[in-house]
Amino acid sequence: MTDDLNAALAALPFDEALAELQSVVGRLEGGGLPLEASIALYERGVALHEHCARLLGDAELRVQRLVEDAAGALRAIDLDPGDAAR
Amino acid sequence: MVAADRRGVTPPARYDGLVTYDPERPWNAWLESDSGAADPTANTASGPRIRSVAELTRLVRERLRDAPGLRDVWVEGEIGQVSVSAAGHAYLTLKDDRAQLRCVIFRDDRLRIPFAPQTGLRVVAHGRLDVFEQQGVYQFYVDSLQPAGFGDLALRLEAMKARLAAEGLFDAARKRPLPPWPASIGVATSETGAVLHDILQVLQRRWPRVRVVFSPCLVQGEAAPTAIIAALRRLERWIDASSGRGVDLVIVARGGGSLEDLWPFNDERVVRAVAAFPRPVVAGIGHETDVTLVDFTADVRAATPSVAAELAVPSRDEQGTRLLTLRGSLHRAGTRALATQRIALEAERRALDTLRPSAVLTAERERIGLLLDRATRAIQERLSTDRALLGRSADRLPRLAQARTMLAGTDLRSAARALGALSPFATLERGYAIVRRADGSVVRSALEQRLGDPLEVRLAQGGLDVRVERVRDSAP
Repeated sequence: MTDDLNAALAALPFDEALAELQSVVGRLEGGGLPLEASIALYERGVALHEHCARLLGDAELRVQRLVEDAAGALRAIDLDPGDAAR
Repeated sequence: MVAADRRGVTPPARYDGLVTYDPERPWNAWLESDSGAADPTANTASGPRIRSVAELTRLVRERLRDAPGLRDVWVEGEIGQVSVSAAGHAYLTLKDDRAQLRCVIFRDDRLRIPFAPQTGLRVVAHGRLDVFEQQGVYQFYVDSLQPAGFGDLALRLEAMKARLAAEGLFDAARKRPLPPWPASIGVATSETGAVLHDILQVLQRRWPRVRVVFSPCLVQGEAAPTAIIAALRRLERWIDASSGRGVDLVIVARGGGSLEDLWPFNDERVVRAVAAFPRPVVAGIGHETDVTLVDFTADVRAATPSVAAELAVPSRDEQGTRLLTLRGSLHRAGTRALATQRIALEAERRALDTLRPSAVLTAERERIGLLLDRATRAIQERLSTDRALLGRSADRLPRLAQARTMLAGTDLRSAARALGALSPFATLERGYAIVRRADGSVVRSALEQRLGDPLEVRLAQGGLDVRVERVRDSAP
């Protein structure tokens, strides 16, 4: 798989990667594809799966708190989710 | 009562005139046989009538019990003395500044009352009046008891609810669906207390890929409604400031409490702020049994703050299971795709076999066989790795070694590339052709064909669609 494709994959949100994986599986199951195309699809499917699995595992909850300064401007300050959830 | 006793001192006239004296008969035996209160002529026809205490008490009791205004009574007062008997019945007095009322709450009714009646509490009691004959007292038999003021609050709530419902604020058609994959969730709740903690814990466990934007507010007391509205307003401004990406949905939450505690969430201004919020709102207010107008107005009502968090995000476990299933399908489909290619390849090889000198054929066959073996091995290796991985739990999935996967993919890919390059199609370069029927099967004998059959001829460069013009049983 090319670096371009991998780079694009890294930024793909979970839901989009999952949807593409479903479409890849659907096309492979449909059959009738040339060998090269089947292999390429299969590899894309593996990469998408890896990506999804990594997204499921890695995530750390991010908690921000909205604060309003004296001038009324809003800012979001990061809270430690561990502290907040403990 | 006093008058009756006094009159009883003089023997009644009826006693002398109408009843034969019988020394064996006790003086008051007529009481036993008399129909008593049921006899309306007793006093008029025969003079004053003497009654027993029990009889009179019974009479009072029946009058009291039958009185239309005394059977289904609501009464408000302050609780005086309270005691609970060994049998579990409660005895208490209800009083105001002018009178007292003796009350009884039988055990079963008492256990249904959600609070303990205590001296000094103002309450509204429901029940019926009756006479306790043994003690000669009338009592109020309470079957339900509420703190005073509750009824007022509940009535106001009902009235407001009806008005807002008529306005269509609670209509199902108004409810917006929650986004299935929220990236960011606003939370409006108290800074203190367990609610925020509970929500964050559920999100961390269930779908930590989400960003929480916390907008703190008071959730109790007179200042709470304005504070809740301000918290929602901040979130709304945050959405505007981040060109719509700030928050995908909002959880409005509060821990459990009394009707008075939850009252800010019945405030009409708060209800309207929730209805007007530009993103879907999940309400998680109080416990399962607590219902506020904000619950009715929100797009989704959750029983508790934790449940609100559950409803707001997808489940990591479910998505993990879904991924595993997809992974299985992917590998089955991939294997099948390769197997199909392999069958096609072999069919073509067999077709060529009949046309080629045996020496070339043997060498070629070996090479193709080797390539097919390599491709098959690569697939099988992959499948066994997957099987081992599938056996593990979903949360270990991410640890799957990326390098190993890529390596297996590379093997498979190079095998396939070689397979393509050295396939029997290369033989076509030497001037051979493959003839196939419309269904893709290879034609081996002219006699299998009929006049006019459509056939496909595959050449090294492109192919021909032809029809059979003549069938011969031997080469020309």
